Amino acid sequence: MSGQRIVVLGGGPAGLNAALGVADLGQQVLLVEPREFLGGTPVAERYASITGSFEDAETAMARLAGRLTESALAEVRLGTRAISLEGSPGDMRIGLEGPGGSEVVTCGSVIVATGFQHFDPGRETQLYGYYEYPDVLALQDLESMLKDRAVVRPSNGQPPERLCFVQCVGSRDRNIGNEYCSKVCCGVASKEAIEVREQLPNCEVFIFYIDMRMYGYWESQIYWPAQERHHVQYVKGIITEVLERNGRLLVRGEDTTMGRPMEVLMDMVVLSVGMEPSAGTREMARILGLAQNKYGFIDAPGSPLDTVTTSRPGVFAAGAALGPSDLEDCASSAGLAALRAVSVLRQSEMIGT
Amino acid sequence: MPVGGRKQPPVVVEKPEATAVSTISGRSWELPGMWNRMFEPRVLSDYTATGFARIAGLPGGESLEWCYGCGKCVPVCPVDLVGEYGPRKIHRKVQTGMDLFSSDDLWLCTSCANCLRVCPKEVDMTKVMPAVREAAIGDGMVPAELQDVFEKTFRNGNCLGENPRRRNAWTRAAGVPVRVLPTDPGAVDVLFYVEDYWSYHPRGQQAAQCFARILAALDVDFAILGPEEKTLGDSQRVAGEKGLFEALMEDVAATLDKYEFKRIVTPDPHGFNALKKVYPKYGHNYEVSHYTQFLAPLVDKIPFRSEVRHRVTFHDPCYLGRHNGEYDAPRTILDAIPGIELVEMGRCRENGYCCGGGGGGMWLDGFTANHTSERLSERRVREAAETGADVLAVCCPYEVSRFEDAAKSTGNDQLRVMDIVELVDMAMGGTGAV
Repeated sequence: MSGQRIVVLGGGPAGLNAALGVADLGQQVLLVEPREFLGGTPVAERYASITGSFEDAETAMARLAGRLTESALAEVRLGTRAISLEGSPGDMRIGLEGPGGSEVVTCGSVIVATGFQHFDPGRETQLYGYYEYPDVLALQDLESMLKDRAVVRPSNGQPPERLCFVQCVGSRDRNIGNEYCSKVCCGVASKEAIEVREQLPNCEVFIFYIDMRMYGYWESQIYWPAQERHHVQYVKGIITEVLERNGRLLVRGEDTTMGRPMEVLMDMVVLSVGMEPSAGTREMARILGLAQNKYGFIDAPGSPLDTVTTSRPGVFAAGAALGPSDLEDCASSAGLAALRAVSVLRQSEMIGT
Repeated sequence: MPVGGRKQPPVVVEKPEATAVSTISGRSWELPGMWNRMFEPRVLSDYTATGFARIAGLPGGESLEWCYGCGKCVPVCPVDLVGEYGPRKIHRKVQTGMDLFSSDDLWLCTSCANCLRVCPKEVDMTKVMPAVREAAIGDGMVPAELQDVFEKTFRNGNCLGENPRRRNAWTRAAGVPVRVLPTDPGAVDVLFYVEDYWSYHPRGQQAAQCFARILAALDVDFAILGPEEKTLGDSQRVAGEKGLFEALMEDVAATLDKYEFKRIVTPDPHGFNALKKVYPKYGHNYEVSHYTQFLAPLVDKIPFRSEVRHRVTFHDPCYLGRHNGEYDAPRTILDAIPGIELVEMGRCRENGYCCGGGGGGMWLDGFTANHTSERLSERRVREAAETGADVLAVCCPYEVSRFEDAAKSTGNDQLRVMDIVELVDMAMGGTGAV
C-alpha cells in the first residue's frame, strides 16, 4: 500500500501547507527538503516578520512545521532531494538521494513546492551598485538586519539617518526578461519601512516607486499605516542610478508627479528585488519533465481556474514554484494541490489500479 | 546564487553651460534665465519628512501627509482651475522641501471642501489650512489685506469695520416693524442673526429687508440683536484667526445668554456653520437653521401675489452644501416661486463651484488675483451665463457683491444677481424688486 503515499518536494510555506493538507485528508505524506531545516526561504533568508500580520517569521514557520511533524501520517526527510520520477498517476516511483544514500520510493502523486529565489541585483545593467557599495542592500538583507534589531550601514556600522527603498528591481522589465510583477515587494518594502521606523525613529524612510501595488488588505494593513502612522515618505518616480557622494549615496531619478529630475542623498538604499524561479524549481522541472513558462516557473496549463495541475499527469505544483506568490497564494495553491494529489489516489482506488 | 558581472561606477559628466548654436551662422549663445532652465530643469533634492512632521504636530494638520498622490482633488479644486494651486501639489511640495508656513499657497485655499469630497484618504484641507495659517499668523506672516480685516473685526465686531451702533440701520426701510432685543427684551421665537453683510452692505441690507417682510407676512415672532450683534467669525477662524474667533464666540455666547429665544435663523452659511458645528465643541448649543431651511417648510404659506418671469440658475454656497449637506431647501423655495424657470449649472449641488469668498478668500482679492488668471467668482458667473439664465440666485451674503462685480467684469451685465429672499419678496409684490 506504499502507493497510497504522496510525496511533497520542498519544506517552505507552500510545501508545509500542502503536506499538512494531505495528512489532514487522511493520507500518508512524505516531505522531502534538501536543506537541513524546514521553513523554506522565510527561515533560510532570516525574515524578520510575516508581511501582513507582522508575526515573527521564524515562529510562524515553526508552528506550521510543528503541526506537520506531529502528524502520524507525515514523514520528513531533510538533506534529501529528488533525482528521478517514473510511472503514472497512482503508481509512481520517485528516486531520492539523501544522507543515507539513494533509494526509490513509490507514491501515488507528487507535489512540487520548490519556491523562488530573489533577483540578483548585480545582474544585467541596472546601475544600483549592489556589489560596489556596501550600503546598497536588497530586501532580504534588511530583513536579516531587522531580525537582529541591528539596522546599520555596513560601511561604518552606524544607524542610517536616511534610508530609501527602490521598487521593481528585476521585475516588470522586458530588458531583463522578467516581464511580470513580483507581487510582494511593495508590501514587503512597506512592511520593512514600518519596522525601520519603529527600530530607528530618527531615520527618515522613503519609497521610490512606479506604481504601489498593495493588493487587497495590504492597503489598510501596511500601506496606509506606513504613511499615516509611521510617516514613511512615498515618492512616485523610480530611481535610475545610485552614485557615491562624500561617503553617502546619491540616488537619481525622476519625480514623475512633479515632472522634475531628483537627486537625493541617502545613507542606505534597499533594492526591492523581485522573484525568480529557484534553482530547485528549475532543476525539478527538468528532472520531473514539467513544462516551464518563459520565465522558468512551472507551467500550469489550466490556469487561472486550475492553478496547480502541471503538464505531467500526477504531478502538481504549489507556491512560488508556479510564479510570484505571497504567503496567502502559497496557502491557497498548497490546499488545492493537496486536494488534487489525494483525488488522484482516490480515483485510482475506485478504478482499482 | 548567480552573481552578475561587476559594474564600474558610472562616470559623472558635468554638463557644459547650455548654449544654442545657430545652424546658419555657426555662432553660439549662452542661454540665460528661463531659456537655460528649459534645458536644465531645477533638480529636486530636498526630500524630507520634516515638513509634514511640523504640520502634523498642529491640531488638524495630521491628514496632509496621508495623501498618496492620486490627484482626484486637483480637477475639482476651484483654485486649480484658474491657477497653479492644488491640494495634491501642496503635499508634494512639502515633501520636496517647501515651507508651507511662508508660502503664498497657504492663503489660496477657499476651504470649499470639494477636494475632501473626492479624497479617498480623507485629507482635510479645511482643517490643515486653518491650523497652518494660525501658526503662520503667530509668526507674523499674514497678507496685509487679511490682517486689516482681522483688525477691523477685533475693533468693531464686524469684518467691514463699520460702526456697531449702525448695525440695525437697515430696519428703518424694511417696511415692517423689526424688534430689536436690547431695547425690547422679552421672549421671542426666532432670533434673526443678521451677520455682517446683510447688516451693512447696501445690497445685503435690501435682502435683510426682504427677509423681514417675509417673516412678517408669515406672522413669525422674530427679533434681532441690533447693536449687540457681533459677527460669528467663522471665516476669520478658517483664515487662521482662531483666537479672534474664540474671543468673538465668548462675546456672542454671553449676549445670547441674556435673551430668551427658541431658535436662531441666519442668512450666512458661514455663521450657520459656526453655530452648528463649531460652537457645540465649546459647549455652546443652539437650535440653528439657515434661512432657506427655515422657509422651505413654510413655502405653502407664503402669500405669493405675482409671477416672477425669470430663467433662474442657483449657486450652492459651499458652507450650506458641502459643509452642511443642505442642497434641497434653496431649490424648494425657488420651485415654489410662481413663474420661475430653474436651470442648473454643470457644477451644482455636491460639485458646486466655489465663489472664492470662503476661508478668508473674501478678504484676499488682491492677493489671490496675483496667483490666478481670473477670479473664481468670474469663472462662476460665466458658467451661470452659459445656462441662458437672466438671474443668478444666491443664498449666501458674500455672493451678491462678488457676483455682481464679476458679472460686470466679464461683460455679463444681463445677468442679475439676486438673493433668494429678493425673489420671494418680488413674488409677494414687495418693494425688494430690483
